[in-house]
Amino acid sequence: MAGVSTKEIKNRIRSMESTKQITKAMEMVAASKLRKAQNQVLSSRPYFEILYATINDIVDADNDVSSIYLRPTEGKKPLYVVIAGDRGLAGGYNSNVCKLVLQEIKGKDACVLPMGKKATEFFKARQIPMLEFHCHEAQAVTIGDCFSLAKRLCKLFRDGEYDRLVVAYTSFVSVLSQTAGTLQMLPLPRHEVQRDGMPRQVTVYEPGSEEVFERIIPEYLGGILYGALCESRASEQAARRTAMDSATKNAEEMIADLSLKFNRARQAAITQEITEIVAGSKQ
Amino acid sequence: MTNFPLKIVTPSGLVYDGEAEKLIVRTTTGDVAILARHINYVAPLGMGQASVTIRGEKRHAACIGGMVTVMNGAVTLVPTTFEWAEDIDVARAEHSEQRAKTVLENKDASETDLKLAEARLKRALIRQSVAAQK
Repeated sequence: MAGVSTKEIKNRIRSMESTKQITKAMEMVAASKLRKAQNQVLSSRPYFEILYATINDIVDADNDVSSIYLRPTEGKKPLYVVIAGDRGLAGGYNSNVCKLVLQEIKGKDACVLPMGKKATEFFKARQIPMLEFHCHEAQAVTIGDCFSLAKRLCKLFRDGEYDRLVVAYTSFVSVLSQTAGTLQMLPLPRHEVQRDGMPRQVTVYEPGSEEVFERIIPEYLGGILYGALCESRASEQAARRTAMDSATKNAEEMIADLSLKFNRARQAAITQEITEIVAGSKQ
Repeated sequence: MTNFPLKIVTPSGLVYDGEAEKLIVRTTTGDVAILARHINYVAPLGMGQASVTIRGEKRHAACIGGMVTVMNGAVTLVPTTFEWAEDIDVARAEHSEQRAKTVLENKDASETDLKLAEARLKRALIRQSVAAQK
């Protein structure tokens, strides 16, 4: 242990202690925020799921509905709505979803609408064309913002500013697991349905299929955006809690390691002193 | 009366999931009543009162925006806001009515402000009229 003074080790232990205190506090803050976010996810999830299922049912049930939102496109000019967090120190939460999008838009004339400071910074640094969103902080976005954003996105879609809308968000699977994923919103994806000789069901649209879609799609989009936002917020807190938990554990480990080193160094110094005294008294 | 499965879900949670006898909602083209064995149907919702009959008992609610669908007999109501008459905060609705009126009386208000105020006034009036019926 020669060469490392006890004082140096002591300083390092002290700095580790304060780091540990910070990560511990952050973990507790994240845990309490997570509880709130989790409740929000649980209450908004039925809406999210039923809305999604209902729209898919309508789209699948009828193949002769004409709407601009249903026409398949080539997807050459996609628009990605990326939902990430405002702050770092949340493990891979921000980078996972951003990298996923980066990979998907490779070689395409893509545009990005970031929600959250971290996503904005990420795409700005890579000089990817961005659409402005008036709320910079994902934490401050309300359901009203989601609906007005959805209206704006629908208008841009109708004007042909982009031909595919994808939402990238982190879905909250459990406290320990969150997965980044993408969801194609526009044009509405159509699935081939096996009818097995069943007669086709007729669906009545009032006032007409085109008008119905015109009205419903912005609402649908707003609902889905809000749902994705809730999922992402809960995921962020869960990811931060896990990251901070392991940081605290690492700090504890390092402190234990350093304490051992410190004690050894102190013991070595005492032994050396004794040896010197003994050696001096012999003469 | 024959029942049908009804789901009412808003962004703030699942409001109702179960059997119902009759549902009356205001769509953009007017009020519609849905009974059991309705054909597949999709319509966007306007702003207005909704009534649900459950086991012979009629309940009223303020129901704004969203859509109603019937798929293979199952009815799904997906409004933006849905409040049962007994849950409506009348004081808040009255306050919001006052606020909207002051904006509407202001001659310098911008186009978007006027539109917002108009929508707010409508919502407040619907809430008050629904709450009065409980």
